[in-house]
Amino acid sequence: MITLVHFQIVSAALFSIGLYGVMARRSAILILMSIELMLNAVNINLVAVASFLDPDRFAGIIITIFVITVAAAEVGLALAIVLRLFRNRATINVDNMDLMKW
Amino acid sequence: MGLMELAWIIPASSFFAFVGIIAFGRRIPFVSPMLSIGAIIVGCILVFVVVMGRIDADPTGIDFFSRKWFEVGGTELMLGMIIDPLSIVMLGLVCFVSLMVQVYSLSYMRHDPKLAWYYAIHALFAASMILVVLADNFLLFYVAWELVGLCSYLLIGFWWEKREPVEAAKKAFITTRIADVALLVGILLLFHEVGTFSMKETFYQAQLLGAGEVSELSSGTTMIATFLLFIGAMGKSAQIPFHVWLPDAMAGPTPVSALIHAATMVVAGVYLVARTFALFEAVPNVLLVVSIVGLVTSLLASTMALVNTDLKRILAYSTISHLGLMMLSLGAFGYTAAIFHLVAHGFSKALLFLGAGSVSHASNQTDIRKMGGFIKVMPITAITFGIGALSLGGIPIFAGFWSKDEILIAVFNHRNFLFLIGTLFVGFLSALYMARAFYLVFFGDLKNENKSVSESPILMTAPLILLAIPSLLFGFSVFGSDEGYGGIGRFIFFENAHDFHFNVLLGSISVILAVVAFGISKPLYITRKFDLNRIKKYFSGLIRICERGYYFDQVYEWFFDRIVLVSSRFIAWLDRAVVNDVGVNGPANSMGWTASKLRLHVTGKVYNYALVMVLGSMIIGSVWWIMVAG
Repeated sequence: MITLVHFQIVSAALFSIGLYGVMARRSAILILMSIELMLNAVNINLVAVASFLDPDRFAGIIITIFVITVAAAEVGLALAIVLRLFRNRATINVDNMDLMKW
Repeated sequence: MGLMELAWIIPASSFFAFVGIIAFGRRIPFVSPMLSIGAIIVGCILVFVVVMGRIDADPTGIDFFSRKWFEVGGTELMLGMIIDPLSIVMLGLVCFVSLMVQVYSLSYMRHDPKLAWYYAIHALFAASMILVVLADNFLLFYVAWELVGLCSYLLIGFWWEKREPVEAAKKAFITTRIADVALLVGILLLFHEVGTFSMKETFYQAQLLGAGEVSELSSGTTMIATFLLFIGAMGKSAQIPFHVWLPDAMAGPTPVSALIHAATMVVAGVYLVARTFALFEAVPNVLLVVSIVGLVTSLLASTMALVNTDLKRILAYSTISHLGLMMLSLGAFGYTAAIFHLVAHGFSKALLFLGAGSVSHASNQTDIRKMGGFIKVMPITAITFGIGALSLGGIPIFAGFWSKDEILIAVFNHRNFLFLIGTLFVGFLSALYMARAFYLVFFGDLKNENKSVSESPILMTAPLILLAIPSLLFGFSVFGSDEGYGGIGRFIFFENAHDFHFNVLLGSISVILAVVAFGISKPLYITRKFDLNRIKKYFSGLIRICERGYYFDQVYEWFFDRIVLVSSRFIAWLDRAVVNDVGVNGPANSMGWTASKLRLHVTGKVYNYALVMVLGSMIIGSVWWIMVAG
C-alpha cells in the first residue's frame, strides 16, 4: 500500500534533484528548470499531506493550484530576464553574471 | 557704610566707557578719549566719596560687600569688594595715575590713527586694575588679574605694525602667564582646603593656623599655596627670574609704560602679597623667600639700570629694582613700608616715565648718549623729571626718601645684617642711576641735532606738574596730625599700628649715600672730572655682564631652543607616530584591511548565494528540529 511516506520520499528526491540542479548547472535555463522541479516537489508534498490529513476538503489542492499559477508567472518573468541578459551579453552562463557584488 | 558701597561704580564706569568706545569710537573720534577720561574722573571723585565713607565708619577697619554671583555644585561664588585702607590707597593711586596718563595721552597720541582703540584698552585696563584692587574673593581677583594681563599685552603691542612691540607683547604675556598658572594652582589649593574663594574666610583660617589653633588649612598646603601665590606675584611684579618681560615692554607707547609698568599693573604683585599677608604670616619661611627674591631682584636690576643707555629701559630696570625693594620690605614684615613705597614709587615713576615720554616726544629718541642740555629747551619737563629722580633717589623731603627709610627700618628690625647692607647698596645705586639719567639728559651741552627740541604742550606738562606734587609732598604723610590722622603707620598696617620713628644712624647713612651718589654724578658724567673710560675699562667684565642683563635672556633662549623645542619636537613626533598613525588611523586602517579581505566572500555567483541560502535554511531547520520539535 502506498502511504504518505512514499509520497514524501518521492517529493524529497525530486526536491534534492532540483536543488542539485540549481547548484551545479551553469545555464540559466537549466537552473530555472531545476527550480521548477523543486516547486513541483513541494506541490506533491502539499497534495499528499492535504489528502492524507483531511480527504474531504480541498484546501491543500487549491493552494497547489495557486502555487502552479505563481510558478508559471515567475518563470515567465525569469525567462524575460534571461532573454534580456542574452541580448546584452550573448550568454546565459551564470558564471559571467556576477554583478551582484561589491 | 552707604558711601563705601558706591565703590563698585568705579570699575563699572570705566568698563562701560570701554563698551561705549568699542560701540561708537570708530564713528565719532573724539568720543573715545571723552568717555574714557570722563569715566576715570567719575572714578576719582568716587574715590573721595569712598574715603569719606571709610573715615566715617572706622578709618582702619575692613568691610566686605558681597553679592551672589552664581552657584556651582553647592559652592556659592560671590561678587564683592574689600574696602580697607590698603584698597583705598591703591584705588587712589590707580585712579589718579590713570587720569594723568589718559590726559597726557591726549597730546602724546593725538596723531595716532588708532586713538579710539588706545582709549578703549585704557578704559578696560583701568576697570580691571581697579577690580584687582577691590576683589574680595580669589576667583574674581584671578579674573581681574588675567584681564590686566590681557590689557598689558594689548597696550604693549599697540603698534602692532612693527615687529618689536609684537614680540615684546608676546614675551610679556607668556612670561606672566607662566607665573599665573602657579597663582591659579595656589588659589585652587586654598579653595580645596577652605572650601570657599572668600578672602575673608581664608585669612581667618590662616590666622587660626598662625596662632596654632584648629584650622581648615594645614601648614604644608598653606606653605605650598602661599609660595605659588608669590610666584604669581613675581610674574606680574617682574621679580627675578620673571623680570625679562618688563624691559622689552618699553617698546609700547610711553604713557602706557607710565601707567602699567610703573604705578599699576606691576605693583599688582606687591598688592597680592600685601593683600594675602595673613597667609604669608602664617608661614614665615615663605616670607624669607620673598625678601631674598626681592633683594636679589633689586640688586641685579639696579646694576642693569646703571649701565643701560636707553632712557626708558633705565626706568624699567629701576622699576624692577624698586619692586624688589617692596617685596624685600614685605618679606621683612614691613607691610606699611612696602605699601608706602609702592605709592611713593608709583607717583615718582609715573612722573619719570611721562617725563621720558615728553623728552622722546620732543627729540624722537630714547638714547641718553644722544641727549644733553635739555634743561634749557624744556624746563618744565626737566624740573619735574628732576623731582621724580630725587624722589626715587631718596633725597630728603622727597617722597621716596621717607618710604626708603621705612623699608630700611623694617629690614633692620627683622632681617640680618647682609640684607641691610644690600638695601643700602640698592639705595645708593638707585640714586646713582637716577642722577646719571637726569644729568645726561638735561645737563651738559645741547647737541646740534637737538637744537629744534622744544617744550611739550600744556596737556603733557600739566600731568607732569600734577604728578610732581605728590612726588614732592607725599612723604609727609608719615607724620600724624593732632586730629585723628596718626601718620601712615596708623592708617595702613597689618595687625599692629605703629608710629613713624626715624632711626638716626640708618637715616643718616642712607642720606649720605644718596647725596654722595647725586654729588659724584655731575663730575662723573657731565664735567668729566674723573676719567670715566678708565673706570669702565677697570670694570669692563662686570659692565658687560650687566649690559647683557646677566644673560637671563640668553639662558632662556638656550633653554627654549635646546630643551623646550627639542622635547616639543619629540612630542610632535610622538603625536604623529603614535597618536595619529596608531591611535587614530590605526583602527581605520585595520577596518579597511579586514573589509578588503572579507569582501572576497561576496562573489556575485548565483550558485554560491544559493548554497549559502540552502545551508542557512538547513541550519535553521535543524535548530528548530532540535530546540522545538525534538
